[in-house]
Parts: sequence; structure tokens; C-alpha cells
Amino acid sequence: MTDTTDAGAAAATATNAPWTCPFCALLCDDLQPDPHGPSLSPKACALASARLDELRLRPAVGARVDGRAADHAEAIALAAARLGASRQPLFAGLAGDVAGARAVFRLAAASGAICDAAGGEALMRGLRVQQDRGGFTATIAEVHARADLILFVGSWPAARAPRLLERFARGRDHQPAVVALGVDPGESGIEAVLPSVALADSLPMLAALVAGRRLRQPNPELQTLAERLHAARYAVVVWEPGQLGEQGALLIEQILRLLVTLNRETRAAGFPLAASGGTATANQVFTWLGGLPLRSRIATDGVRHEPLRYGADRILSAHDADLLLWLNPFPGEPPPATDLPRVVIGAPSLAATLGDESRTVFLPAAMPGVDHGGHLFRTDGVVLMPLHPLRTTQLPTVAALVAGIAAKLEASS
Amino acid sequence: MSSLRLAGGRVIDPANPDSGALRDVCVRDGRIVAMAADAPADATIDCGGCLVMAGGIDLHTHIGGGKVNLARLLLPELQRDCCHPDAAQAWPARLDPAAHVTPGTLLTGYRYAQMGYTSAFEPAMVPANARHAHMEMGDVPILDHGAYVMLGSDELLLRWMAEGKPFEQIRDYVGWTLNATRALGLKVVNPGGISAFKFNQRKLDVDEEHVHWRTTPRQILHTLARSLVELGVPHPLHIHGSNLGVAGNIESTLATIDALEGLPGHLTHIQFHAYGKEGPKKFSSAALQLVEAVNANPNISIDVGQIMFGQTVTASGDTMRQLANADHASPRKWIGADIECDAGCGVVPFRYKEQSYVNALQWAIGLEIFLLVQDPWRVVLTTDHPNGGPFTSYPHLIRLLMDREFRNEQLARIHPEVAEHCALKDITRELSLDEIAIMTRAGPARLLGLADRGHLAAGAAADIAVYRQAADVESMFTTPEHVFKDGVEVARRGRITASPVGATHVVEPDYDRTVEKHLKAHHDTHGSVRFEHLAISRDELGECSRCGQVHVVPCTAGEGA
Repeated sequence: MTDTTDAGAAAATATNAPWTCPFCALLCDDLQPDPHGPSLSPKACALASARLDELRLRPAVGARVDGRAADHAEAIALAAARLGASRQPLFAGLAGDVAGARAVFRLAAASGAICDAAGGEALMRGLRVQQDRGGFTATIAEVHARADLILFVGSWPAARAPRLLERFARGRDHQPAVVALGVDPGESGIEAVLPSVALADSLPMLAALVAGRRLRQPNPELQTLAERLHAARYAVVVWEPGQLGEQGALLIEQILRLLVTLNRETRAAGFPLAASGGTATANQVFTWLGGLPLRSRIATDGVRHEPLRYGADRILSAHDADLLLWLNPFPGEPPPATDLPRVVIGAPSLAATLGDESRTVFLPAAMPGVDHGGHLFRTDGVVLMPLHPLRTTQLPTVAALVAGIAAKLEASS
Repeated sequence: MSSLRLAGGRVIDPANPDSGALRDVCVRDGRIVAMAADAPADATIDCGGCLVMAGGIDLHTHIGGGKVNLARLLLPELQRDCCHPDAAQAWPARLDPAAHVTPGTLLTGYRYAQMGYTSAFEPAMVPANARHAHMEMGDVPILDHGAYVMLGSDELLLRWMAEGKPFEQIRDYVGWTLNATRALGLKVVNPGGISAFKFNQRKLDVDEEHVHWRTTPRQILHTLARSLVELGVPHPLHIHGSNLGVAGNIESTLATIDALEGLPGHLTHIQFHAYGKEGPKKFSSAALQLVEAVNANPNISIDVGQIMFGQTVTASGDTMRQLANADHASPRKWIGADIECDAGCGVVPFRYKEQSYVNALQWAIGLEIFLLVQDPWRVVLTTDHPNGGPFTSYPHLIRLLMDREFRNEQLARIHPEVAEHCALKDITRELSLDEIAIMTRAGPARLLGLADRGHLAAGAAADIAVYRQAADVESMFTTPEHVFKDGVEVARRGRITASPVGATHVVEPDYDRTVEKHLKAHHDTHGSVRFEHLAISRDELGECSRCGQVHVVPCTAGEGA
């Protein structure tokens, strides 16, 4: 550790100082951005490179209250006052690191908030299958060590996690076979299986064929794929809950059925690829603190989990809340349109997306893994990666902002 | 700082002379102190009619980390009406026990404290998941905590053993792992078996070779147990043996004891490893054989892993055995994972039924073990929470052990064939308060090397539980009058009165640092994070554990070697 005020730059300029890229759920820690910028060659990772380029804009945005600039203390006090006056707040977005989620849970408990993540539908899709059926998964090192057949189902994640295949296969003596079902990646070395029917039909057929069912008209390509899955020593099925559409939960159930069948005689595992931004982190933290995942109402008289009713979009459109607290310290998803009073805690770039600010408190926050350290869960939900600052900032962390609001709220109650 | 006198209670403190005497216990600065009988104290609590004991210590309870959180995610239906972030919530006298099968960390801390427990140790921390485990333990309020890190199915150990690397290199890897993951002890789960399952091996006996690495559980056990002795780690190798739950697995358990060749070993949830294959159902109690071996081998300690009837969930690193049992899941759903070339996990919900022959026998076997082992210092009271049952059932379990009449009433309710033939029906022993205090406090503290916990001599930490003496020990042990953590009252008659941050207990054994270059070379090829990211620094441990104190339990290198 260093005690200079320029800790971030010091960390970044040290040769080979570790950095964990926070921009997708793989959380790669082998990228070495040029600290002057910071910047990274697109060849190393197109997504990280583009995100770092955006960061260089660094909009000089301070706190805002109802459309005007305000000082930090005033904005915190007003956010606490509006939260205190709310009878049913909705906390949504919920991106960020462990420290942020720990603070948000406590604020939610103090205010009886309903909590949902940005992209909550996709998160719940995976979660509800887990609640109904369970699952079987592997982690990155395990896939790297063992997988001889990797099957991507329904989507090709190159745009969202550019280095996924590299992480699975680099430096291996025997490269795994890579097959994509229901999507054509258009990349060399990857076989696309594109049966004429939709995934909603082909996946159950594949699961049935893997289970040894006799079908009247088995699709020959799926038949071959089923045989290859059986022959594999360790098959890994990859999917993105956010890309599987509204019936995604049913598709994930079919994948699970297939994995359970395979594991009776050979070995196989699933690898769901999570969304970026740390909503999976918030879900883990909320689950361990209160016992139940997101889409729960956290209150002093108990935690209530309602995976359908507590979707943020539904709550907003039904006016089942009277205040929205939106939290996203990463560039990306802006708060949803609503006529409710809003408290927006997030990346400075969110300021430009606020629209009508007549009842909006905006608190710019530092970005985990760029402006400060912290922890995010990798997509496999096992490895909790430490983050490091790349640069210095005056902005407070989400955890500090939320704790500030909680302290005000407590003082006034 | 202020002083406190707990006046006139019956002090049950079997680690020290005169246990059971009526005397005062005095506290200053979070420590037990000797004070003259007439010395004034800032506060005095009349403990007349009460038992004064050290705070309870659970040495094997799955309270935090990946598989525990997966269990919560799998079973939201067990969380109804029980999740309570509010510390002021009273201890509900008769909650559905299933409500504590997978409590959140907040409720975990409150419920333990409400029962008079002040420390709990997570027994299965996967190295790749260590930060997460420390985060969760840090969010368990009040309780001191710590974890045993898992090795024995990690590809590196198996590879190095297969390649015939020198023992010293492996020992130093163990030392590095304990330091890097901030562990208190070392756990082995189905030695080699979690890895073997990844190679599609479905069974692994103690002298059977791993299908790929060709090592045997016997070799792994001996190597790890010897490493701990040479590193001077106080807690013996924490062993979840081979063939968990399999009829006839007493053979594996006896072979495991044999494999240690006199080295210290702690056989955990031993009830699940004490089965014969006699009788009409080819499933029988091997408690007598086990107890004979434990009595004859002073290097062996055990915890029981008692099962309690009702709904629970089993969460284990033993992927091989959990998947073999997955078809018995109730409700019918389960989670498994192969983890990071380190380990695995399997989460399978389970309902133990009184009228099931197998479950009834498991229940009887656990009690037989408790009641037949001669030396209480080598038996720890656990249900392997939540695997045998939730920790909130401890008061009920204590009554079963202390009250023969009550035990026989319960015996009459279980499967009649078991009730009729089990050895339990003829056991008249009732455990004494001293024996209960050993099994729940003094014993586990000694087994973990916690010199200042588990007893009430001057200088010990003021972790204290005060119970109002009653004929019904279940109700007595459910709701103590007062509970103190480091001298601060944290619960009073079931209400939480303070919620301090507990300490993390770790070991920091010395090892030859040159092993790190071999570790780095391995991880650069096979790992998924950079080597520098594997170790948790003291600063980072503080971030995880909410800046709780870190207690380094001393290692005595060379002493046992």
C-alpha cells in the first residue's frame, strides 16, 4: 500500500501491477492497460479497450438536485429526506461491488425497499430454474483443464465477453471442439448446428436424444450432436440467460435436463454467462445477508421474495412504489423512465441520460475497478475477484454514498 | 473500562479446577479477571440459580461461502417467516425448525448468540472461494469465526504426489495455502475423490487408486496430516472420510484411522461414516466398532454430525457422494459444481424421517457414539449444520444426551425395528453438565488451539453464557439469561442487545517461501487468475471481515515432528 494521494496512479504505473478488468463478468486479471490514458489495445480485448476509451472523457459532473448543481451534502440530505418520506421505495439497477451491495442492503432494510437488479428478468430466469430444479456448473479453470467439447446454446457471446473462448482454451495441449447450437458465430474453427426448427424445439429434442429416447423423426444433426455429447469425456454447455428470450427459463431447464442425463454415465457441466456490472454480485450479497435473493422486499419485519411481482418494470408501471433509487456505478444502463421521484447514484456519464430531472437527486459515484478497489463475483459465482484502482478520483464510492444516506435517514428517524 | 461481576452462579468450567462450584466470575476489558470477593465492580448481575459457562463453540458448521449461498438460492421456500435483518427481534420460542436450515448470515449470528454460542467455524472453505467465505463470515454478526481450507482433491497436490515431488515441497504448499486463504485449519473431503469424480470415477476406497493420478486416499491422508504436524498447526487434519453414507463404510473409516499411523486426525460428522452392512436391510450400526477404535487411538478426535428428524439440506464438497445421493433429494432438486481444479460442491435437500429405517438408524448411531466414547475431550457436539440438522436443534440434542427418560420417549417414536434392536435402548448413560460443557466449549477450543476460549479462568476471553437452571435442559439451553461476547452483553433472555463484529481466527505457519515459484509456474499454466491474486492480504481480510480483529493462533513448528 502507498500513502501518497496518488495511490491509483502509483498502482497503475508499477510494472506488472495487477488490474482486474471490471467491464464484463469474466473479470480478466491478465490485461495490462497503459496507465496514461488509461488505454488498452483492442487486440487484447475489444470490449475493455472501448470502455477504457470512453473513460477518458471523464465528464466533470457534480451532484445535482432537481436539475441544478448542488453540493454533495445537500444532495445526500435531500435523498435521505425523500427516502424517509417514501412509503414504498424501489431500489433498482443494483450494479456495483460487494461493499456497495452490503451498504445498499442495510439502507434497504432501514427503508423497507423492494430490490431488483438491472436486467432483473435475465437474472431471475436463471434463478428460478435454480429454485425449481437446481443446476450443475463448472468454473473457468475447470473448463480449461477438462472440457473436450464446448457447446454454446442460443447465442454467441463474443460481443459481451470477448475473451471467453480464449479463457477456456489458451495454452492447452488438446484444443476442445467448439459447437454452437441455434446460432452461427461465423468464426473459423467453430461448428454451427442450425436445425431448421427454433431452439424451443431443438433443445428439447436434443435433451430427449441425449436421454436415449426414440423419436419418430430425429433431426440428424441433433442426433449426431447427442452422440458427441455422450462420447465427450467432459462436455460443457454455455448459455447467456439474457439472450435466451422470454421463454429462456424453459430453455435453461432443458439444458439442465441434458446435463443431469449426461452426468449419470459421463461427465458434463453448465456454464451460464452472467451479465456485466455486478448485479450477480448484489444477488450473492443480498442472499447471504438476508437468506433470499433479489426481487425481495427487505424490511425490519422480514424479507419477502417475489420473483414475479417484484420486477422493477412491473413495479414502476403499476405504481407499486413511490420512489426509485437507481444504482449503477458503471457506464451503461440509465435509470428507467418514470414520473416517480428518483435518487440516482451512478457513473458521472449517467447524468446525461437523466431526462426530466424535476424530481431527481443525482449523486455521481466512483467506478469499482477503475476509481477504487473492491470485489466482484466472476460469472461462475465461485471466484470473488479483487479489484484495483486505475486512476485517482475525488468521487465517493457507492458504499460511502449509500452509508451517508443511511446515516442521515437514521439521524432523522 | 468498566468491570462486571457475575455473582453467585454455579460455574461449569471443566477445563479448570472446581467446576460446579458456586462462585463469582468477574470481567474487565473483555477478559475474565480474578477479583477479590469484596472488590467493587461497576456492575453486578445476580446469577443465583443460574449456570455460568463459557460461550459455546461450534467447530463444524456450514455458515458461510459458496455452497451455503447456493443452498439459500436453491431453497427460498425454507426462508418463509424467518429472515430477519433486525437485531432487536426476539427469539421466537417455537419456530419451525426448517426455518433455520439455510439462514442468512445475520440470522445465523443472532440465533447462535441467542443460544449462548459465541464462536462458529466454517469447515469447508474452497481456496478459490476463500474471499467469499470470509465475506460471509464477516457478515455473521457477534460470532468469532474462522475456516478450514480444503485440499486433497486439488489437482496440484495430486499432480505433485503423482510426480513424486519431495514431501517438503508439498508441506510448504500446505503452509502457503493456510496463509494465503487465511485459514485456521486444513480440511480434506473424500480424499482424492472430488477430483476422481471429475474423471468420472464414482467410488474411491481408501486403498483404491485415483483413476488418473494413481494416488490413493491413504497416501493423501498421511501426507496432509504429516504436513500439519511439521507446520505445527494446532487443529489436527479435519477429515471428511471416504464413502460417506455408504453401507459398510466403517471399513473405510477404520482404514482412515490406520492411514494416519498415529498422526493427529479429527474425523468429522463421524455418524455418516459408521455404518455396517448387517441385518435384513444390509444397513446397520457400526457405532461400537467405531467407538472401540476412537477409544484405542488417542490421536483421533471426532465430531458426531447427529441427524435430527425433519427438513434440512446437505451441502458438501463431496461431489462424488452428493451426486450418488441426488435421487433421494427432497424436495427433488439439487445443485452440483466442479470447482476451479480445487474441489467441488453438492447441495442436496433432505428430509430425515422417524419412520425411515435408515434415518432412524442414523439417529440412533449418532447418539450411541456420543454416549459410548469414553473421553469427552475428543468428542464434539455437532449436527454438521445443516447437513444433519440445523444448529438450532442443539438444545434438543443436549436433552437427548442428558435425559434418558426423554431419550427413550423419542426412541419409541422411531422405526420399530430400529427401536427394538439398536444398542441405544440399553445405554443408560446420561451426560453430565461438565461433559456437555466439554463437548460444546472446552473440547473444541482445545482441539482448535484457542487457549483463551472455552473456559473461564482469569485471562480467558469473556465469552460467557448464563443459563437459568431448569429441569428441562432443552428449554434451559435454548434461551440463556445473559450472553456476553468479549465482555459485552449481546443477548438477554433471547433478545439481541448488541451486535459487535466478531474476530477471525487464523494460523500463519512458517514455510519455505521458495515453494511459491513452483506454485506460480503451475498457476500460470493451469490457473484462471494470476498468482498474485490468490493470496488474501491482511488488509484485504479486513475488507472481507468488516475490520474484525484477527487472532493468530500460534503454531508450534517442529514440536510434533
